[in-house]
Amino acid sequence: MAQAQVPEYVRVVEELFSKYKEFIYVGKYIQRWDAVSKITGKALFTADFLKFYKDPVYVYTVRPKYAHAYIKSIDTTEAERYPGVIKVLTAKDIPGVNDVGYVIPDQPLLADKKVRYIADPIALIVAEDKYVAAEAAELVHVEYEPLPVITDPLEVVDLKTLKEKEHVRIHEERESDIISHFKIRKGDVEKAIKEADVVVENEYRTGMQEHAYLEPEAAIAIPEADGGVTIIASTQCPFDVRKAVARVLGVTQNKVRVIVPAIGGGFGGKEDVVNEIGAKAALAAYYTGRPAVVIHTREESMIGHSKRHPMVAWYRHAAKKDGTLLAVEANIVLDTGAYASLGPFVAWRAIVHSTGPYKVPNARVDTLAVYTNNVYAGAFRGFGNPQVTFAFELQMDALAEELGMDPVDLRLKNILREGDRTVHGQLLTKEHGVGLEETLKRAIEVIDWYRKRKEYSEFAEGTLRKGIGLALLWHGNSIGVEGADYSSATIIINRDGTVTFRTGLTDFGQGAVWGLVLIAAEILGVPPQLFRIEPPDTSSTPDAGPTVASRSTVMGGAATMNAAYKLRKRINELAANMLGCSPDEIVIRAPEKEDVKPSDVEVFCKSDPSKKVKWTDVVEQSFWDGVPLQEFGFFRAPKAEWDEETGQGAPYVTYTFGTMVAEVTVDIETGAVKVDRMVTAYDIGKVINRVGAELHAEGGAIQGLGYALMEEIVHDKNGVVRTYNLSNYYTPLIDDIPDEIIPIWVESGFKRGPFGAKGLGEPSIVAIAPAIVNAINHATKHRFTQIPLTPERIYLGLKRAGKIKL
Amino acid sequence: MSTIFIHRFDVVQPSSLEEALKILAEEGESVTPMAGGTDVMILIRDGVIKVKKILDLWPLRSQLSYIKREDGYVKIGALTTVTELEKSWLVNDKRYAGFRDVIIGFATPYLRSLATVGGNIGTGHPLSDIGVLLLTLDAEVVLLSADGERIVPLKEFYLGKRKINRKPNELITEVRFKEAPGNSSTAFIKFDRRRGHSMGYVLVAAYLALKGNVIEDVKIAFDSIGRPYPERAVKTESFLKGKEFSLENIRKAYNEVLPTEMSRISDYRASAEYRLDLSKVLMKRALLRAKERIESR
Amino acid sequence: MAFDPSKSWDTYPDIEITLNVNGKNYKVKVKPYERLIDVLRYKLGFTGVKEGCGRGECGACVVLMDGELVPSCLVLAVRANGKKIITVEGLAPEGKLHAVQKAFLDTFAVQCGFCFPGFAIAIKHLLDKNPNPSEEEIKEALSGNLCRCGSYYRLIKAAKLASEYVRQGKIYFDVKR
Ligand SMILES: Cc1cc2nc3c(=O)[nH]c(=O)nc-3n(C[C@H](O)[C@H](O)[C@H](O)COP(=O)(O)OP(=O)(O)OC[C@H]3O[C@@H](n4cnc5c(N)ncnc54)[C@H](O)[C@@H]3O)c2cc1C
Ligand code: FES
Ligand code: FES
Repeated sequence: MAQAQVPEYVRVVEELFSKYKEFIYVGKYIQRWDAVSKITGKALFTADFLKFYKDPVYVYTVRPKYAHAYIKSIDTTEAERYPGVIKVLTAKDIPGVNDVGYVIPDQPLLADKKVRYIADPIALIVAEDKYVAAEAAELVHVEYEPLPVITDPLEVVDLKTLKEKEHVRIHEERESDIISHFKIRKGDVEKAIKEADVVVENEYRTGMQEHAYLEPEAAIAIPEADGGVTIIASTQCPFDVRKAVARVLGVTQNKVRVIVPAIGGGFGGKEDVVNEIGAKAALAAYYTGRPAVVIHTREESMIGHSKRHPMVAWYRHAAKKDGTLLAVEANIVLDTGAYASLGPFVAWRAIVHSTGPYKVPNARVDTLAVYTNNVYAGAFRGFGNPQVTFAFELQMDALAEELGMDPVDLRLKNILREGDRTVHGQLLTKEHGVGLEETLKRAIEVIDWYRKRKEYSEFAEGTLRKGIGLALLWHGNSIGVEGADYSSATIIINRDGTVTFRTGLTDFGQGAVWGLVLIAAEILGVPPQLFRIEPPDTSSTPDAGPTVASRSTVMGGAATMNAAYKLRKRINELAANMLGCSPDEIVIRAPEKEDVKPSDVEVFCKSDPSKKVKWTDVVEQSFWDGVPLQEFGFFRAPKAEWDEETGQGAPYVTYTFGTMVAEVTVDIETGAVKVDRMVTAYDIGKVINRVGAELHAEGGAIQGLGYALMEEIVHDKNGVVRTYNLSNYYTPLIDDIPDEIIPIWVESGFKRGPFGAKGLGEPSIVAIAPAIVNAINHATKHRFTQIPLTPERIYLGLKRAGKIKL
Repeated sequence: MSTIFIHRFDVVQPSSLEEALKILAEEGESVTPMAGGTDVMILIRDGVIKVKKILDLWPLRSQLSYIKREDGYVKIGALTTVTELEKSWLVNDKRYAGFRDVIIGFATPYLRSLATVGGNIGTGHPLSDIGVLLLTLDAEVVLLSADGERIVPLKEFYLGKRKINRKPNELITEVRFKEAPGNSSTAFIKFDRRRGHSMGYVLVAAYLALKGNVIEDVKIAFDSIGRPYPERAVKTESFLKGKEFSLENIRKAYNEVLPTEMSRISDYRASAEYRLDLSKVLMKRALLRAKERIESR
Repeated sequence: MAFDPSKSWDTYPDIEITLNVNGKNYKVKVKPYERLIDVLRYKLGFTGVKEGCGRGECGACVVLMDGELVPSCLVLAVRANGKKIITVEGLAPEGKLHAVQKAFLDTFAVQCGFCFPGFAIAIKHLLDKNPNPSEEEIKEALSGNLCRCGSYYRLIKAAKLASEYVRQGKIYFDVKR
């Protein structure tokens, strides 16, 4: 990019990256702003607001008996006459557009012609009481014409030919039940395979994972006098909810206000579903003129919100004797369930990462996302990348075994380093920050890889076996070509010297917004304790784009930098005037103490610290001088490049890299696995929020462990979800965590990230499962290719291979 | 299961056992007894049952919560909670160490303060940890109604899927079993995908009495042998009885005898094949654990 | 279900019960089918009690009832009549933090925070019974509480730290901010 074209907001980020070497707040252990309110039980989550509203109405969703059926008729009369029922709403009552599809308009809010999965909302009971609402739901009589149910994506498409098969169509209104098809075409794969010394080929399967955030979805809608509505909702994306609700109600966006209180976890799952529940609450408020409440039960949450796409993939890798990769070929099918949700974007992210952080001279990859009658799949931490990483990292181990090479040596031979080109032809330079090799080297050193790899190969104690395995990852930062990749933040300095921080980015536990405050504090010199983060509110906080794709720190951080930078500049000039030195010399510093006050903060000249004033005096002066103390910051990533036919271009601004190592003990007689230890080494450019980063490394690993070993949403052949609660959907509990997780941080510095930072939210789960499964494969000397790798799958796999005799 | 079925119901709280029995005598099937409610509340939620009126047994806890030795029996009041079992002498008696296994693996710590012994067998469900263990102790169930007391051996108490040998006017008041001999012990193992909070793919309990290294007596119970409730593997037991305690004999028992009496189901949680093989492994481990306990005195 | 449009929907009796919550007595009318969690949250305003599952599977709703740890989502409100309830709001006097809460801060354990009220009560219950628990005992006591954000390591550390505070007689701490 020529210098002249670099926008001002990018230049600011680059300037600050090169200027700041020492940090006061960034990268330090600093308590998040809402910690006290959360541990005292005072923090208010959406459902908690119910205690403030008298006389609300309760909304309960009527869901179908079948996962796939035409609706012949809906009779609500009996339900409507049930005492306590105020209204029963069906599709015909929707004043605006009956659609809440996220990327494609394929998802009716209330089904009237057809149901496509087992939780498809058909009608809403609006009642005086939640028990009454649930009772009345059974009095809505729906006549169905059942259709064959498809739960296996390979009934829709052939894995080998990638052709759509003859099947009962799920979305007749569309051309095909294949919602997207992405491609990578590079070099001459046929030729490379012919010339290769070794070729390995396998089929991989990954399960449908549930977010299981602890707070189920909730929304409260309060009717406004002008026909508008205010919605309190547990959402990651308030501006998306506003748009969806405005469409459903048929009103303009300024009549819908969405406020986001504390959120009890999201992990990507509180994106599209909140369009649905926000709209349900809004409709009820619209019709009754009373506050309306939708609080999903755990069971409704499990069956009624998006999941992680299951994947079936066929992979073929070809290499030379010395381990050099020659080609990668893959057919990848993602099951997006009944609706597209974010499926097309997930499929795109999957293909971008599908060959791994390696030099791949020849490649042919096809990625398809298809409809089935399963619960719809959408965004979930990692967004398509965990699935493909599972496949390619198992392929790498299979290849290493064929070659008789150590898995580490094979990877060292092929990994991307500075100056290499990705499979898409993107040149990785120093500006991107390419710390993959360092993560690998440091991880294997800390864990003592070579010794353990050898030792565990021979370990056998009764029915116990030990193994060690690793997996590498890359993860493109922010949204790439998926959407408009902008972000924004507003900083307001108040007259008492405190600071108000506003962004439409949401915090659902990950602490990213706190990272933005640390960035602002670093630049302004005002300690983070003096900041107040205002809850996202479409009426006051700027639209910062969705809180997805690990983009908060990178995009939001860069926007925050711009706001803080401009403010600081004005303050420096004012202070320089007051103190009589040059603006470049102004230092703003606070004493180190927990209960710091605005008047403790000092502003002085670097060359002569005796020339000083209080921060509060500077603030006061600026009010007298008319120096504006609020600022809006914006950042937008350079346009991503992607050729639809070949997958060539520059899909992401940069990549987060990492190496995960796992040690396991397997009881071969039962198939039980204990993950003993993990090392998680990430190159995230620069650690901004250290507490948040560590928590991500731990939390992502634990969620990844669940993905690898126990979590799976299971549908029966009728499309009924069998795992609809937290007893039969297994999330890791305190007894399941590894004895230790050792985090390693590599700070390679990304020139266009805030102080060099890259994203971590999603990468923290991406390569956990393949590391654990590679370790299990090492322990059992077997090649398992499916997750969740349950005790049963391990046991029966070994039994079939003749490795077990009871 | 596609939705939830919460609904309203009435509650009656009796002030004495007599009053409770009277209510049952008068209203019979239209009232549902509730002990801890950890099963009843879930059945309502899942739409498995619709209740009109709950008979709250909690007020009777002062009468029906106890663990005592009497007349050569160990008697456990029906409303004894798992937490109370945990605090009792029972778990420190090596003969009954199987209870320790049950308690540690039972649901979650906070559920144990509600879940009762009577409720556990009252569910009639195969995945009843206490019920499975009690089978190996030849326990009896004491039922009381306005008409008097009835005593049913636990193995005859289970009748079918969630069906128990209880008349609508009866309450479970006690479970009891004869004191086990000093050369015996018990063990219980439940295995599932995760260690904490699990239902179990397979539940097994073993009672073992050894004379030297000879198996004087053995009882082995599973969550299911073929029918949808806990049962003993009697053929396997009789094969082992009188034999030397050896891995070889145990292997023979589970490879040659157990499969002749056990038929497992496949469902979304596990296949029949895995359940059978796991039954074998866990049976072996439970017997070994019981033996270790006998010898550790 | 038979219905009678002339009939009001509110046909179940109101039962007056007395609850002592966090040291204060409340008289409150409840329905026979009503759960303790709903009364605590919506009738008395103790929204620190969280509902994560409503099925006894997550531990977010646990409270102490006469000193015992119970899931308030499975307890009928009428059953709590006359009982002493402690919720997270009652761990420390207003403006103070309990040792357990202080330990959560010291270990930087907080993520989304939805699980914390449950963990706080579970740890408090453990320390009441056993002021010097081993790591194994801590894990056992917390084995039924789900933290989906994965703060488990810090929660174990926090429980240890809290036990140290308690043994040193440091029960309440000032809130700095
Ligand atoms: C999250 C969760 C985890 C669980 N984990 C386990 C586990 O690990 N192991 C296990 O075995 N179970 C488990 N259960 C099931 C249940 O908790 C136990 O079976 C418990 O022992 C039931 O006792 P209760 O007192 O709560 O029974 P209730 O729910 O009160 O009653 C169960 C049944 O017995 C009847 N009944 C109860 N008491 C009497 C009586 N005195 N007279 C007549 N009828 C009576 C009731 O009418 C009802 O039909 C779990 C349940 C949940 C919700
Ligand atoms: S809400 Fe009560 S245990 Fe989950
Ligand atoms: S911090 Fe989110 S569930 Fe524990």
